[in-house]
Amino acid sequence: MIEQICFDKVLLESAKEIFSTMVFMDLAEAAEKDFVVDRALLGSITFKGGVEGCMAICCDKNCAKAIAVNMLGMDSDSGLTEEGISDAIGEIVNMIMGGVKSRILKEVGNLEVSIPSVVSGHDLTNLDNKSIRTTIKVNIDDKFGAEISLIYRPCA
Amino acid sequence: MAKSLMIVDDSATMRKIIMRTVRMSGLEFERTEEAGNGAEAIEKLKTSPVDLVLCDVNMPEMGGLEMVKKIRTELKICEGTKIIMVSTESSQELIDGVIADGANGFITKPFTPEKFQEKLTPFMN
Repeated sequence: MIEQICFDKVLLESAKEIFSTMVFMDLAEAAEKDFVVDRALLGSITFKGGVEGCMAICCDKNCAKAIAVNMLGMDSDSGLTEEGISDAIGEIVNMIMGGVKSRILKEVGNLEVSIPSVVSGHDLTNLDNKSIRTTIKVNIDDKFGAEISLIYRPCA
Repeated sequence: MAKSLMIVDDSATMRKIIMRTVRMSGLEFERTEEAGNGAEAIEKLKTSPVDLVLCDVNMPEMGGLEMVKKIRTELKICEGTKIIMVSTESSQELIDGVIADGANGFITKPFTPEKFQEKLTPFMN
């Protein structure tokens, strides 16, 4: 059944919905795909059930700050803490994954989602040849570039 | 009129967003409390009950589903408190289950001030 799911479409739809309703920033798939996200933060969340894997958003510090400022309705990032930035990115990942889950639940049967985590890092890499990776590069408010990735494999 | 509100979520960011959305919805509370998980919420509710609880589902230590069960069937405290779950989880099975356990409503993320107004207004009187 999961062969019928277009994961990059599902991922983009969910991300767009979350950014427009909870972050109040515009998110669109990037026309230019070869940009590199430097000095990145990586927010990730794992899932298991009819399909298992990991979803992550990777962005630079300035992008993460802008997301946190918008989510919290702050005027500037001056009062923002590292913990606040990390928490905001974790919530974004959590909500995007929630949107993905609601869109694929019928096809995958059941899906348990973990609590998100945020680390300094650059990339999400699949270490086995059974997993499939989909990555979309996005522009946020036409100012920031970010990557949203999903690594997944069907469960027996 | 519901006068007091507790927001239960492990994310401080989400607690602030929920609080802001409550304000944007036009609903007013004289007292607001926060808790980072179900266990912390229960401890606070034992000494300082509130009229309305907005509670996440997935949290470390004690999640929202366990918290509702404990409050409604084990501890039997806060009988007048209305508990509304707020979560990215949105399967009908989950919603039906937590309502059966004693929650009074369910709001899915992403949410809007209008959604809060629609779901919370019935509990404001």
